[in-house]
Amino acid sequence: MKILLVEDDPELARQVDSLMEAAGHACHGCSRGMDGLRSLADREFDLLVLDAGLPDMDGFDLVARIRAAGHRQPVLFLTARDSVTDRVRGLGAGGDDYLTKPFAAEELLARVEALHRRASKLSAPSPKNIGRWSLDPTLRRLYAGDEVVDLQPREWTLLEVLMQNEGRVLTKKFLLEKAWDIHFDPGTNVVDAMLCRLRRKIDSPQAASHIETVRGKGYVFHARP
Amino acid sequence: MFFTRVLERISSTWRLAILQGVLLAGSMALCVTMASWALRGDLDTIARAVVLDDLGEYSVLYNRAGLPGLSEVFTAGKHEDDQGVRITTPDGNVLLESIPAAAADFAWPAQAPASLQSGGIFLVTLKHVASPHQLLAGCQLLNDGNALWFGRTNAEDKAYEEHIRRNLWLAGLGALGLALLPLWWFGHQVLRPVHEMMRSMQTLAEGRTDIVMAAPNAVPELRAFAVAYNRGLARIRSLTEELQSANDFLAHELRTPLARIRGNLEKFHDSTDNPAAHDAAARGLDEIDRATQLIHTILTIRAGENEALKLHLEPVGLLDLLRQLHDLYLPAADQRALKLSLMAHREIVLSLDRQRITQAIANLLDNALAYTPEGGGVEIALEVSGAAVRVIVRDTGPGLLEDELETIWQRNARGSAACSQSPGLGLGLSLVRAIAIAHCGSAGCANRSGGGAEFWLELPM
Repeated sequence: MKILLVEDDPELARQVDSLMEAAGHACHGCSRGMDGLRSLADREFDLLVLDAGLPDMDGFDLVARIRAAGHRQPVLFLTARDSVTDRVRGLGAGGDDYLTKPFAAEELLARVEALHRRASKLSAPSPKNIGRWSLDPTLRRLYAGDEVVDLQPREWTLLEVLMQNEGRVLTKKFLLEKAWDIHFDPGTNVVDAMLCRLRRKIDSPQAASHIETVRGKGYVFHARP
Repeated sequence: MFFTRVLERISSTWRLAILQGVLLAGSMALCVTMASWALRGDLDTIARAVVLDDLGEYSVLYNRAGLPGLSEVFTAGKHEDDQGVRITTPDGNVLLESIPAAAADFAWPAQAPASLQSGGIFLVTLKHVASPHQLLAGCQLLNDGNALWFGRTNAEDKAYEEHIRRNLWLAGLGALGLALLPLWWFGHQVLRPVHEMMRSMQTLAEGRTDIVMAAPNAVPELRAFAVAYNRGLARIRSLTEELQSANDFLAHELRTPLARIRGNLEKFHDSTDNPAAHDAAARGLDEIDRATQLIHTILTIRAGENEALKLHLEPVGLLDLLRQLHDLYLPAADQRALKLSLMAHREIVLSLDRQRITQAIANLLDNALAYTPEGGGVEIALEVSGAAVRVIVRDTGPGLLEDELETIWQRNARGSAACSQSPGLGLGLSLVRAIAIAHCGSAGCANRSGGGAEFWLELPM
């Protein structure tokens, strides 16, 4: 995937650049909105990552100009502001997703890849069969072999998000947003409690858990046989 | 008491109208009374003059032409029907009596009083047997010793008086109509602008500062008031904007360096094989995430306290929102052996910032779960009281001390039940209150009679 990054903070730009390179994506960076517009005109990109506060223009204005110029690539905003109004404004201006600073590297990757999949109409890396599990997305059911695992809707959504990002550590914040549409920290470790319940339903007593907690980072799903 | 209460409910236009009406009616009554009194005095003088005049004329005629001459002249004269004449002998016999119907039914004296001298005149006022009319009668001794009586009723005087009185009242009514013109002016140029100003004040109270008070047709004083008020509003507006941009700036200036550190720390966490370093990095990441959350909370509280919180309002079903929160916290409550129940049946849709209201209620639930001992219960309830709706979180925890009921809402305050091990800076409740205020609502708490505490978030419908 070819990514255009417009970010004025050099250290953050360097981090995102190395993260993308490590994940096998080509990342072209620039620090000003005008440079971003020029690069878009010159080269082909699959996806844009824009800082919402650029020195020469607002990221929301930049995305409006990018759309006006006829570019249809998905846009992910990186922003230091996190009010809902800003999120709505960013998405309304033509952005496709929104990530507040500071962010976890793998969350950025998960979001970027999800946007790319959506844009190129690729289906998610088939979540239907992972290990001994099979998911039926239309019936919203989980099968272990031929056996149906009884899951509540919220547990199902949570598991679906985890399975779609198999092997990737997902932050609590990301899971809260995807499964509950909650954009703040609800205090009590509700995600932990919900995952405990989920583990009891899908794990075998002797084997290691499918959902691993990574201290300081979040949770990761492993498809174990 | 009752009078004061009624008076309080009367609008200023009606007060002015009533006051003006009463004043005008009073002064009219005074005018009419004075005019009638003066007129009656004048008419009485005229009536006496007429009676004396006619007595003199008729006595001369009688003395010259005798009874037939007088009778002839009196009958021939075009007398109004309110005048009568009679001649009586000293012993009371009536020689002539010509009294029209209007002057009849008065008790004429039978004979002249004994004290009356020749040439002298005796005047007497007689009352009618039925009507309020009076008759002024005069008596003069004639040369032959008989007495000449002449009388005149005051019917005509009364008619004059009535006519004038009626016209005066009509003039008074006209004057009242004119006097109400200032009332119309008052309503149009004073009261209407005041009402418009009141409306814009209400809009301001609802949290909107983008209003301008206009009073184009108002009196100069109100126009000056509007100008001064608008200047104040502009000041509030500019301060609010300044605060919002300062908040954005601060958020940006703190979050960007945190992002740089977090990125590097995460890289370190993922690259190191040293378990101690790995653990330290994980702790560091946790701390950075808590610091980020703290920045978010402080900025939200600050913005909320200064009415600079940007809300994203949309129709939100409260019951649906509470069900989701119930779902969200149920596993955590189960883990702590707490019974979490939802007592709400009717959906109530309000225009709210979904995320922030969810956050406020989540904070109350988070507290309730943290302070309720194992085996206890936490209840979420949705109740309508009057024009407001309350989301209540009840717990079976230790409750609050009396003097904590208000202080725990302050920033950095923590209740006596908080232990030093539990995390938190005591910002949760001030965040709840800031969000409530931003929605023109309120937040409060009380101890429950059966033990435990209840916290509520009240929102206007």
